[in-house]
Amino acid sequence: MEIRGVHIEDTFAEAFGMRAARVIVTARTIRWARAAALKLTGFATSVIACKCEAAIERELTPDETPDARPGVAALIFTMDSDSLGKRLTERIGQTVLTCPTASCFDGLPDAPDRLPAARALRTFGDRFQISKVVDGQRYWRVPVMEGECLLQESFGMQKKGVGGGNFLILAEDIDSALAAAEAAVDAIDGTPGVILPFPGGVVRSGSKVGARGYKGMIASTNDAYCPTLRPLTASALPDGVNAVLELVLDGLSPAAISAAMRAGIDAACRPGVRAISAGNYGGKLGPHHFHLRQIMGPAT
Amino acid sequence: MSDAVSLSLRARLDGPLDISGVTPDRCVAQSEAEVAGLPVWLGSERARVGDFFTVRGDRAPRLEIEGDLADVTGVGAGTASGELIVRGPAGRQAGAGMTGGLVHVHGSVSDDAGMAMAGGVLRIDGHAGDRVGSATPGASKGMTGGEIVVFGSVGAAAAALARRGLVAVVGAVGPYAGRGMIAGTVLALGPIGAQPGSGNKRGSIVAAGGIDVPATYRPACTYEPPHVRLLLTSLQRRFGFPADASLRDGTYRRYCGDAGEPGKGEILVWIGDGRRAQP
Repeated sequence: MEIRGVHIEDTFAEAFGMRAARVIVTARTIRWARAAALKLTGFATSVIACKCEAAIERELTPDETPDARPGVAALIFTMDSDSLGKRLTERIGQTVLTCPTASCFDGLPDAPDRLPAARALRTFGDRFQISKVVDGQRYWRVPVMEGECLLQESFGMQKKGVGGGNFLILAEDIDSALAAAEAAVDAIDGTPGVILPFPGGVVRSGSKVGARGYKGMIASTNDAYCPTLRPLTASALPDGVNAVLELVLDGLSPAAISAAMRAGIDAACRPGVRAISAGNYGGKLGPHHFHLRQIMGPAT
Repeated sequence: MSDAVSLSLRARLDGPLDISGVTPDRCVAQSEAEVAGLPVWLGSERARVGDFFTVRGDRAPRLEIEGDLADVTGVGAGTASGELIVRGPAGRQAGAGMTGGLVHVHGSVSDDAGMAMAGGVLRIDGHAGDRVGSATPGASKGMTGGEIVVFGSVGAAAAALARRGLVAVVGAVGPYAGRGMIAGTVLALGPIGAQPGSGNKRGSIVAAGGIDVPATYRPACTYEPPHVRLLLTSLQRRFGFPADASLRDGTYRRYCGDAGEPGKGEILVWIGDGRRAQP
């Protein structure tokens, strides 16, 4: 299969089940909502070292937020339920509670599984906090120096989230790779239920499981796709490929990942890109397999 | 199974009729004949629904009652789930003791609406009498949950002894609102009468249409309370509650009281659009 001269390899992205929450941060202006959301989702590229994966899903208009203020929706993914609750508590407490005029709401109100992530944060109010119930949901008013911080107590948990959808852009040079990756990120940006947790949505340090030279390493460089190692390892790079960038996608559902991959791969097929590939572990580790040629086939 | 069970009052009543317990959650599993056989009380005499109402439909989660129910006590009282639509006025204790569901009265109601309510939504398109959301006689707690939304005005002692829950009023609120409140919220777009929040422990009174704050409340600050914004937005979106942006974005003056222990109650007085607020 080729798209505008770019070869689509016959392979698949292998992804894992994850727990997910959607956090809606609002503030008096979008500037402060963004500020809180950027910190909320900071240092959250990979569960390997960050304990969660998170990023901004999209910005919300006042019509879309619970309190009719500008807002930002962020998605946070972890490998298990306990960890998701802990990460929410830590991150909301350190980033939304601290941010001027910011409030925090659940973005998955229909999810039957609930995490009382903000309940612990009420104690920052030192018994001056006040509980209010609106439309069946409990909120905490925590007194702060500019007034009050409003936090929804519980957050819905999506148990069927997907982490690790991906595709690789195999390009002739770094300029072409970056241009394709940026186009792909722009195409995916705002897709409902999907985030790209790495810097700018792109990762250059694709990894393989374990390491050849160091025991105990969880992951190490994906040498098969490192152009500098072409003669030293079992390279997977076609001739003429000198730079590879990867997009990693986490989503609330497999369908959301597929839709985002389709949009991203299509946008990445541009001059200077030789091929699109994907990372997998032989299909034995992750239950979700996103076959590139199926995804890029005729829309159904 | 039909879309709704409907009860039509056949004739004017000779005395006070109590239909407490005739609720959508009871009708959802009952045939037309079984609904007609549900017990009601005419004064102290036991009677049946079918003695006064024409019953149509069966086994539906939606119950509709039409007619002049101004002398009917306990309309929707005890509702736990489903929807009750009342096309006309209702008498005392409408929605009393609700634990869930929706009771929507397309008219006015008399005293004690939502008395001892614990959950659900009681919507009243007209006015309500005294003691909305308050306690049963002799009880230590009024409503403990749920939402009462009144598009007209309400009488005295709204939310008296309330432990939780919301009383939101488009019009005026009578005297003694929130008397002895333990917690919960009273919100009024119209004026609030004399002696609000006396003995209030941790409850909130939100006054957007004027209030004389008692001397036993102490001023704290002016600010934009985020929960009021959330509450007004939620009420507007769900019920068409007519709170405009100046109230939602507005600045409020916070008073803490009532004096004494614990004194953690509050009165929030709207003082203007927040983006143009006076210092």
